[in-house]
Amino acid sequence: MRPTWRVLGALLLWASLEWYGATSEVSWLFLLASWVFALLVISAGYALWNRRGLILSLTPHGSRPAEGSPASELPDGVLRTGPHPSPLFEGDALELEIGLSNTGAARGPAWVAGDVAGTPLRAATGLIPRGGWRSSRSLEGLRRGPIGASGWTVVTSDPLGFFQSRAHAGDAEVALVLPRFTSLAGRVRAREMESSVPSPRAGAGNELFGVREYHAGDSLRRIHWRSSARRGELVVREYEPPGVQSLAVYMDPSPRTPGVADQLARIAASEAWDCIREGGRVALWAPGLAAGQARDLWESLEWLARYPSDVGDDPPPEGTEAVIVTGTADERLVDALEAARRRGSRVRAWVVGDADLDVDAPVEHVGIEWPL
Amino acid sequence: MAAVTRLFRLPPSPIESSVEGRLFVFAGFAVAVLAIVLYGQDYVVPIAGVLVAAAGHVVSYRERNSRRTFWRQTLLATLVFGALFYVLSDSALALFGGILPQANFAILLVAITSFDLKTRRNCYSSMWISLAILYLAAVYAWDYAFGLLLVGWTFCLAAFWTASHLRRNEAAFRLPARAVAVAAVVALFSGVVWFVVTPQPSGAPVSPLVVSLPNFTSFKGDMESPALPLVQIAGDPTGATSSVDLHYRGRLGDSPVMYVRTGAPAYWRGLVFDTYRDGVWTASIRDYQQLEPYVPPRVLPPAPPDNLGTFVQTFRVLRDMPGVISAAYPVESLYAPVSGLREDAYGTFHTPEQLRAGQTYSVVSYLPNLTAGVLRTDAPLDQLPDHFLTYSDVGALSDRAIALAASVTRDQPTYFDKVMALTTYLQTNYRYTLDLPPVPSGRDPVDWFLFDVKTGYCEQFATAETLLLRSQGIPARLATGYATGDYDPVLNQAVVRERDAHAWVEVWFPRHGWVPVDPTPGVSPLAATQFPSHWAAGGVARLLPHLTVGAPASALGSIGALALLPAALGIAVVVAVLYAWLRRRRWVARRRPQPGEVELLRLYERLQRRLGRRRAPPETPLEYQRSIESALLEEVTRAVNEGAYARRWPEPRRVREMAQRIS
Repeated sequence: MRPTWRVLGALLLWASLEWYGATSEVSWLFLLASWVFALLVISAGYALWNRRGLILSLTPHGSRPAEGSPASELPDGVLRTGPHPSPLFEGDALELEIGLSNTGAARGPAWVAGDVAGTPLRAATGLIPRGGWRSSRSLEGLRRGPIGASGWTVVTSDPLGFFQSRAHAGDAEVALVLPRFTSLAGRVRAREMESSVPSPRAGAGNELFGVREYHAGDSLRRIHWRSSARRGELVVREYEPPGVQSLAVYMDPSPRTPGVADQLARIAASEAWDCIREGGRVALWAPGLAAGQARDLWESLEWLARYPSDVGDDPPPEGTEAVIVTGTADERLVDALEAARRRGSRVRAWVVGDADLDVDAPVEHVGIEWPL
Repeated sequence: MAAVTRLFRLPPSPIESSVEGRLFVFAGFAVAVLAIVLYGQDYVVPIAGVLVAAAGHVVSYRERNSRRTFWRQTLLATLVFGALFYVLSDSALALFGGILPQANFAILLVAITSFDLKTRRNCYSSMWISLAILYLAAVYAWDYAFGLLLVGWTFCLAAFWTASHLRRNEAAFRLPARAVAVAAVVALFSGVVWFVVTPQPSGAPVSPLVVSLPNFTSFKGDMESPALPLVQIAGDPTGATSSVDLHYRGRLGDSPVMYVRTGAPAYWRGLVFDTYRDGVWTASIRDYQQLEPYVPPRVLPPAPPDNLGTFVQTFRVLRDMPGVISAAYPVESLYAPVSGLREDAYGTFHTPEQLRAGQTYSVVSYLPNLTAGVLRTDAPLDQLPDHFLTYSDVGALSDRAIALAASVTRDQPTYFDKVMALTTYLQTNYRYTLDLPPVPSGRDPVDWFLFDVKTGYCEQFATAETLLLRSQGIPARLATGYATGDYDPVLNQAVVRERDAHAWVEVWFPRHGWVPVDPTPGVSPLAATQFPSHWAAGGVARLLPHLTVGAPASALGSIGALALLPAALGIAVVVAVLYAWLRRRRWVARRRPQPGEVELLRLYERLQRRLGRRRAPPETPLEYQRSIESALLEEVTRAVNEGAYARRWPEPRRVREMAQRIS
């Protein structure tokens, strides 16, 4: 707790009253000075009491989709499985709730300040009820990636502002902005590419996709006894349904600029969306980064939202179809695509910018404008 | 130039845009004005000022974001100068009564500038000007009810500070009512306790208080020596007369004649008389010196030896009085709102005209160390100066009286002891009465008092002592004025009434000058100014009779220690209540559940779910149990009731047994 400049003002007032009282015999001034002094002392006690029991919370409680945001176009069934309370895409506005929870009697005043996604925010209140206090802020035009809250402090004081206490809150991630995407299936060139490449359909209904936990109703014939013995619980084999597509997306491990990275993420998200809505599964990989594998749109989007952050050394995934999404001519991507082609996967490539990609596959060059 | 202007221009203050802040600024101003109305008996300008200020706040708030126009600023500046002209003219010519021109000027200043509360920090300046107004009212506040106004203003100040703080932090003006109320009450009481238990610092007054400016009335002709109303029967309507006639005495009532704000109780000395003939005192020396309304220390005699300090007195005249400055003597400096002053040969100051009701003057006086020990060291002069012959004139004092004086002072070793012997002789052997028959014709009033009736009022005592002292070669003279009056040491003020008009003796001590001595029974024989008590507690003690009766109480009361008792009791009660409250809070907050308590209550919940109907909120556990047939419920209900009401929770083992019976 530290005194503010207001204390100096109050002390000056107190000293003036004492001085005038001492030289004028007007006792009332001493009484007034005593009250000013008492206000100072009581304010110190109040400020000590007021700083206890307050906990800062930053909670996203909604988003406002911007024009062209996938959030306004996705089917409800898909949205229901998305992040709570609603998915947040590039350009959308985040409704952020700044709150102070209170563990005791009603307190106040207090104010909080800090940065969210690089935007300084501030909220103040004179009263924090027993049930806590909340204030909403809207963050517009968000960029892809995690939204970090940093440098947040909770400042409390006495009502007169003589003494202040400052408590620092730790940095935290409050939300994740997902890349925008759209269906690229309608693009003429993509269709043409698709038709020009022989398409050995993957899976025939009995191709092993993996194992999972046993659920009531599963056929006993599907139990994978060896895995069950190893894991100590029943697991069953999981087969891909006939014709299920699996898409391997090979991403640029080091995009030149954030703008290029955003565009790569959007293209990859669009590819993933096209695949997943057809019932397929997507594997995302970049050399030197942790790979992501999902049949769920949101898991893919989360990986792409954080792209290119997580470090790993996973091998390139396989799929019935493989696509490079890059801004540079990385040899590792080319090698991975060639390997996929050799395995019989359909292959193609997206290049953001003018990089010359030496692959035996259709390559489409795009800029960083969105939509394409 | 513009850059320099910008450098010194204060940034806009957020409080100017706060409705609550303005409300409390205006309320503080209104409280201060109410104090002026109640204690200054000044009505027109204060009431008009409040109304104008209210309108000003509305206008300036509505237009707080508008650009200030040149013509409005010009008009406001003109009005400020107009207010200044008003205060000067009211002071000099009393156009509007001239009672409190400074307060009126401050009120007008706030009212005018309330129209311009945008860029300058006028909310703060209005608050401080209202404090100045309150201060002027405090000078005249003579009762404890003023404390309520002070509480009100302090509340407005605290609320204004709060509004300012919240506004600066962009928070709405909402606060935890309970916590703030507790803090406010504690601050209020602890402030009072602090005021009572801490000594009040006493600083050397910078100058007399100036609460109104000089007027233009001046002396006409020679100076009169108007005596006080106690000796007046006829003549000037103010009671002015140039003599004290022992044959007569006017009737004195209880009406207040003046309020005196003073840190030290003293006699308010007025006229002094040196010549006694046939029962009449007169002043023989008509010399005077002309002085300005403000008499600085350099034109007055230096501080007396062993001076303890100075203290200021502020006199508010409540009714028309003779133009004599009554004050504690010796005077260090003074100010009176007149065009000039005259100091007579006896050190008394005179005004050109009578003092009007409502006028205020202020005096800074020395605090001479006139104790018995100090005065006893003072030796008489072998040869009195020539101009002291008047003070040795016994007039027609009888040989019998001179013999009496000689016998009383014969065995006294020192000059001081002789004075005190005569003083105490008169105090102990003569009776004070106001019901005195007329002096028989042909009799000398002093002889008649000393040897016949042996009763009298202050003039008889003082005259007798003066002449008896003179008969023993001790220079003395008659001083008139007022006794201290009803002195309140808490408020540092005295209410002086008609009946406080008094006469006493001034005795010449070679080293200490004229020392006041009072032979009237019932008062201290050494009538010197008392050293001021800096403890409000001393005053509080005097409010409680049992604290000032008896030797122990008076001994302790003199240092204010006993007076700490009520405050200590108050603090003890507050601490006890606070401690109990904290204990209760801690108990409520930290009471740990007893073993078995949580388990039993969980079991009770589980059992209700199992029975298919949960206990309704208004239903007691017993009512609920009676509505359902279940032996286990009966047992659990009994355990719950014992735990909840008798604090006898079952052993966890027993709870587990009951839980097993559910499943």
